[in-house]
Amino acid sequence: MQSSLLRFVSVLRRHAVPVSPAETLDAAAAMDTLGYSDRATLRDALALTLAKSEREAHTFFYCFERFFDQRAADFAGAADSARAAQPARTSAALPGANWPAGSSEAGGAGGADAAELAQAAARSPALAALLEGELLPALLKNERGTLSVRLRRAAQAVGVDDIRQFTQKGPYTRRILDALGEGLLREAVVELERAGSEALGTLRRYRDVLREQARDFVEQRYLIQAEGHTAAFMEQLLKQTRLSNIDWRHRDRVREQVRRMTRRLASRHSARRRPVRRGQLHMTHTLRSGMAHDGVLLQTHWRSRRRDKAQLLALCDVSGSVAAYAGFLLMFLYSLQDILPRTRSFAFSGHLGEISALFREESLERAIELANWRYGGATDYGNSLRDFAALALDDIDGNTSVIILGDARNNRGNPELEIMRSIYRRSKQVIWLNPESRRAWGTGDSEMLRYQSACHYSAPCANLQQLEHVVDQLLKSLR
Amino acid sequence: MQDRAELGSIETIERGFAGLGYICSPRIATAVFLAVRLRKPVLVEGPPGVGKTELAKTAARLLNLPLLRLQCYEGLDEAKALYEWKYGKQLLYTQVLKEKLGDLLKGAEGLAESVARLHRVGDVFYSPEFLEPRPLLKAMEQSEGAVLLIDEIDKSDGEFESLLLEILSDYQVSIPEIGTIEARSTPLVFLTSNNTRELSDALKRRCLHLHIPFPGLELEERILKTRVPDLENSLRRQLVAFVHAVRELDLKKPPAISETIDWARSLLLLHATELEESLLRGTLNVLLKFEQDIETAEAELPRLCRQLSAPATGAA
Repeated sequence: MQSSLLRFVSVLRRHAVPVSPAETLDAAAAMDTLGYSDRATLRDALALTLAKSEREAHTFFYCFERFFDQRAADFAGAADSARAAQPARTSAALPGANWPAGSSEAGGAGGADAAELAQAAARSPALAALLEGELLPALLKNERGTLSVRLRRAAQAVGVDDIRQFTQKGPYTRRILDALGEGLLREAVVELERAGSEALGTLRRYRDVLREQARDFVEQRYLIQAEGHTAAFMEQLLKQTRLSNIDWRHRDRVREQVRRMTRRLASRHSARRRPVRRGQLHMTHTLRSGMAHDGVLLQTHWRSRRRDKAQLLALCDVSGSVAAYAGFLLMFLYSLQDILPRTRSFAFSGHLGEISALFREESLERAIELANWRYGGATDYGNSLRDFAALALDDIDGNTSVIILGDARNNRGNPELEIMRSIYRRSKQVIWLNPESRRAWGTGDSEMLRYQSACHYSAPCANLQQLEHVVDQLLKSLR
Repeated sequence: MQDRAELGSIETIERGFAGLGYICSPRIATAVFLAVRLRKPVLVEGPPGVGKTELAKTAARLLNLPLLRLQCYEGLDEAKALYEWKYGKQLLYTQVLKEKLGDLLKGAEGLAESVARLHRVGDVFYSPEFLEPRPLLKAMEQSEGAVLLIDEIDKSDGEFESLLLEILSDYQVSIPEIGTIEARSTPLVFLTSNNTRELSDALKRRCLHLHIPFPGLELEERILKTRVPDLENSLRRQLVAFVHAVRELDLKKPPAISETIDWARSLLLLHATELEESLLRGTLNVLLKFEQDIETAEAELPRLCRQLSAPATGAA
């Protein structure tokens, strides 16, 4: 029982539900107190202890249904092998626990087959041994319970829960069959073939039924085990790929990651209140804390607490040279503005304009399209900075962070470094994210090295991982 | 508290709650059962008005235990949640006992001996008698156990959350001047949250997590039946169906169970027998709390009414 809980927990973890060992212990304790008899109660109890948010609860229920909805395989295939392919559902709560008594529907067909095989056994020692054993008689009588349990034990013994790749399905099926003792069955088939027995067809049918069940089982396990793993793998891969190389069809995944990142930024960013040393005195509080010092008001307390009103201004280059990145960077901006209300977004290439309203009103795809269309073209940082200064320079104060996303390639125009400097002086911090690697900064028409002198922090930002680093940096400075 | 008959099994809890007018789903009953058995607090989340606070109140009534409620808000601190020294009393006592102190120190030679004598007396002024217990400490002090409700934990600051950790995991309070006070009997703790802020993982880890969603049709009808028993069956069915349809709309604040109950009561006062459009229009403000929402719902009223009447005629 414990082991299936542990396996379930590992499936949950793979589906991005972080379950700590302490929570696993709680779940085990809950299972002990409630027993395993009622599936719904068990599900509720595990949900209470393992899933710690609404999102996690959704994942939990999804995984629970998949993991614990065990079907007892139907081996009644000898008479009609097509029918055997449809496994019967049972209400079994857990593997190994509370199995319904093996519904031994030893139909007429099974009985006839048994007689036929018994006759043929005279000429095949392997078949005789098979009929002595447990596997074939169970198959003949279609003892679902026994067979399912055996199948599951065999699967566990060969470690089917470690399956990760679809290419492993074949080997695992074979190993399970071997563990079940299918080798003898194979031998018997070969012997019957040699002898040219009429019972050959019958025996083959049983062998195929068994194989099919094993395959189904592995398939089912693969689906639940590999799903989470593949998703995590994909995520990792996407994080490390250059943004320009990520195919647009992975956009939804990237968007989800970007959203998660920005949400983290927002949760730390939003509710920060600090006590201030000015304003109205909180008299009762001050008096009360003064009592401890014989009425001397050593420590003052103030009524108001300042809410940090950090403002974020983000500028995104949408010109041709960074077109591949612009889509993702705008996506980042879009989520940022969605989550942090005090964010203003600007797009520029030849000239600059504010796109906050656009982001507020339009869907992501449409907004990106419109921003590209309105502000795309050849880059002119000097002109764009002048536009920016006219639009927003007066709004920049000590609580403002400015993020610039662009490659700083200015087509040899006037860089207007002075404007950059004044932004630098007025703001709390200026962060420049450049899609080019550090080595390329300052080569050709790149003005990055000069602009860098007017930034608090500048970093290459070619993939999501680097973007995440920057977000972390931003978090630290906002604290 | 573990061996209380009222908490014997999940079914008993369900029945006991129903007897007090709180219809709960099996999941809620399971949560209460496990909370007692595993000695863990329950973190209850869900939209406003689905009965999070009511759950704790009902549990207290069922067990006949005192309910200690701590309403969280921004700036809530130790002095209001945990304990405080009775400074006034301390001052008064030192004044009154001045002479006694004089007697005690009579004949002492030098500062060292005086201090030594004072040490022998002990920290009288920092003893439990001078401690003013606040809800959290009070809950620890109940010998029969108690139900502690920490309401809207998401409104408090991160610091307060950290303060709770010791209490929630070990049921003890550390007071620097005295030491650690352990709970005489493990209280049953409920924390509620409206999810305006993500709670810390450390807090979540220590709790059982219970999410109460809006109830299904059948459950809501049962709840309404116990809360407003005078309402006619047909009207109740219509009413619940309507509320469910309204929840499907794009609203700022969808109506919760408490609003459904209020609405049912007001319909009862108006002697309504059937939901008509004019009646709905007049009483929509009981159900919806934002002007914008009322406008949205009003625009959809004809369609909703048609929906309501369609299955009714079908059934007849």
